[in-house]
Amino acid sequence: MSDIHWPVIVILLPLAGGVACFLWPRRSVLLGLLTALGVVACVAGLGWQVVEQGAQRYAVGGWGAPLGIDLYADGLSLLMLTVTAVVGLGISVYSSGYFERARYGQDRARHFWPVWMFLWTALNALFLSADIFNLYVTLELLGLAAVVLVALAGGADAVSGAMRYLLVSLLGSLFYLLGVALLYHSFGSVDIAILAERVEPSPAVWAAMGLMIAGLLLKTALFPLHFWLPSAHASAPAPVSALLSALVVKASFYILLRLWLEIFPFANAALAQLLGLLGAAAVFWGGFQALRQTRLKMLIAYSTVAQLGYLFLAFPLASITGWTGALYMLLSHAAAKTAMFMAAGNTLYFGGHDRIADLDRAVQRMPLTMTAFALAGISIMGLPPSGGFIAKWLLLEAAIRSGQWWWGGVLILGGLLSAAWVFKVVGYAFTRSEAPHEARAVPATMEWTALLMAVLAILLGLFAPWLLALLEIGSPFNRENAG
Amino acid sequence: MTERGKKQLPFRLLLVALLFVLTAGLGYAVLTLPSQAPGLSNPVVANLEASGVSNPVTAVLLNFRAYDTLLELGVLLLALFGVWSLAAVPECRESPPGPVLDGLSRLLVPWLILVAGYLLWAGAHAPGGAFQAGSVLAAAGVLLLLTGWRLDTRFSGLPLRMSLVAGLGVFVVVAVVLILMGGRLLEYPPSFAGALILLIEAAATLSIGMTLAALFLGARPEAGP
Repeated sequence: MSDIHWPVIVILLPLAGGVACFLWPRRSVLLGLLTALGVVACVAGLGWQVVEQGAQRYAVGGWGAPLGIDLYADGLSLLMLTVTAVVGLGISVYSSGYFERARYGQDRARHFWPVWMFLWTALNALFLSADIFNLYVTLELLGLAAVVLVALAGGADAVSGAMRYLLVSLLGSLFYLLGVALLYHSFGSVDIAILAERVEPSPAVWAAMGLMIAGLLLKTALFPLHFWLPSAHASAPAPVSALLSALVVKASFYILLRLWLEIFPFANAALAQLLGLLGAAAVFWGGFQALRQTRLKMLIAYSTVAQLGYLFLAFPLASITGWTGALYMLLSHAAAKTAMFMAAGNTLYFGGHDRIADLDRAVQRMPLTMTAFALAGISIMGLPPSGGFIAKWLLLEAAIRSGQWWWGGVLILGGLLSAAWVFKVVGYAFTRSEAPHEARAVPATMEWTALLMAVLAILLGLFAPWLLALLEIGSPFNRENAG
Repeated sequence: MTERGKKQLPFRLLLVALLFVLTAGLGYAVLTLPSQAPGLSNPVVANLEASGVSNPVTAVLLNFRAYDTLLELGVLLLALFGVWSLAAVPECRESPPGPVLDGLSRLLVPWLILVAGYLLWAGAHAPGGAFQAGSVLAAAGVLLLLTGWRLDTRFSGLPLRMSLVAGLGVFVVVAVVLILMGGRLLEYPPSFAGALILLIEAAATLSIGMTLAALFLGARPEAGP
C-alpha cells in the first residue's frame, strides 16, 4: 500500500468528481457525495503514509525541482488536508439537503456540485504544493471557485458581494504573482525548498516579500483588509459561507505561513509585531462589529474577522508553541464556524429570515440546531474542554514564555467579546418574538450535520495531544529563528 | 466638485502618495535585479531531448510543468461553470446577418479551422500549441455565433459538455493510465512523449475553442437531453 500515489489521488479524485458532476447533472448529488467519501478515504490513506514513512516529496513527471514541480506532504499539510476532508464531508452532506429542497431548487444544485468539487481540488492541491508558481495556479482555481459559489445565492446582494470578492481576490493573486516573478528572476527557481537554500536579503527579495505578504493578507482578510469578507460570506448560501469561513481564507494563511517559515526567515521582528498588532485589532474590531449586527449570518461573518486575528498573534511570539496554538485555532475555528453557519442556514431555512431579534423560541422549535450553535459558541469563546480553549491556552503559554504577556490580554478580551455575542443570540433564541412567522421543517441531515460539526469542535479539545504529535512530522516549524 | 468628492479628496491624495511610494519602491527593486537571470533555460534545453517536442515552450507547458497546465484547464472550465450558473437561458433577438458578415464568415471559418489545426501541429517544434490553436478555433466559433448560428439542441446537452471537458478529461485519463503503468504523475515514457503531448493538445484545443466560444455566448444553451 505504501507505493500508492496518495498525494496525486487526493488531487485528481475531486477533479474527476467535479467533471463527472458537470457531465451528469441529474446524478450530481450522488456523484458529489461519493467523491466526498472517496476523498476522505484517500486523505486517510495519505495520512497513514505520512505517519508511517515521514514527510513525503513527490516529483511530478519524474523531473524533480527545479525543472519540474514537486508535491510535498508533511504534518502541516496533512493537518490542513484532514480538516478540509472532515469539514468538506460535513458540508457535502449538509448541501445535499440544503440545495435539494431549499428555495434554490434543482437548478442551483447542478451548479453547486461541480464548482464545490473544483474548490476541493484547489484546496488539496494547494496544501500539497511545494512550488510557489504552482501555488499561484491553485490560488487562482480556489479564488474563482469561491467567487462562483458566492454568486450562486442569486440576487443583487450576492452578485455585488461576489464581484467585490472577485476583484479583491484577483488583486491579491496578482500581488502574489509579482512576488513570484521577482523571486524567480533573482534565484532561478520556484521550488520552496530550493528558494529557502538560495534566498538572501536584497531589495528585490524585500519587494517580493512585501508584495506576497500584502496579497495573501488581502485574501486572508486580516484587519483592515477584511472589508470584502462580511458581505461575501454573509450573502452566500449557508454551506458556501461555511466553506469560505472554514477553509478558503485559511488556505492563503497557510501559504503565508509556509513562506514566512521557509523563504523569509530573515523577516524582521518589527514586521512580526505589526502582523500581531493587526491581528489584535482584528480581534477587537471583528468582535465589536459582530456584537452590533442584527442579522445572524452577518454576525458570524464578523466573528470570522475576529477569529482570523488570533492566527496572526503567533507571528510576534515566533515559537513552536505559538505556531501550534495558531494552527489549533485554525482547526477548531474551521469546525466551529462550519457548525455556526450551518445553524444559521437552518434558521434561515426554517423561518425564511436571519434577524437575530426575531429568532422566536428557536430553542424549542429547533433544539438540535440551537444546541449546535451554543456548542460552537463554546469553542469560539475558548471555554474548556473545546478546541478553541486548547488553542488559546497554547497561545497564552507562548505569550508568557516569550515575555510578551500583553498578547494574552488580547486573547482574554477577545473571548469576552465572543461570549457577549453568543449569549445575545442564544438569549433571543429563547424568547418569544413579537412578530411570529410561518415556519417549515428543516431536513434532519441539515440539523444533524450542524450538531456533529459542533461536537467535533468540542472534541478537538480532547484529541489535542494526538493532533499536536501529527503536526511534528517533518518538523515544519523548526526552521524558524526564535525557539 | 461634489460635496462627496471634496470629502474624499484627502483619501485620494493619500492613495496617490501610497501608489507613488509603491511604484518607486518596485522600480528600485527591479533596477537592482541582476541583469543576467540564472533562470531555468539551461536545464530546459538540456532535457529537451527527453521531452518529446523540440519547442521549449511546449516542453515546459505540456511536460516539465504539465501539472500547472492541467490545473489551468480546470480554471478555464471553472470560468464557464461560473458564467453558466449566473445566466440561465439566453434571450436572443438577432437580425439575420448582413451580406458582409455572411460572406466573410463563409470564407473565414474553414480557414480558421485549418489554421487552428496547423498551430496545433506546429506547437511541437515552433511557436504554437493548444492555447493558440484553441483561441483561433474559438474565433471561428464566435464568428459563427455572430451570424446567428446555434448548436442544434440535439448536441447542446451531453455532447456539448463532453467536448468542453475533453481537454481536462484526456489529461486526467493520460495521467491515471501512466500511473497505473508504474510511472509518476504525468511522467511520459520518452518514446511516447511526443504522441501523448499531441493527444492531450488536440483534446485541449477542442475544449479551449468550445469553452471560449461558449463564454462569448455568455449563457447556457437550451438544455438538451
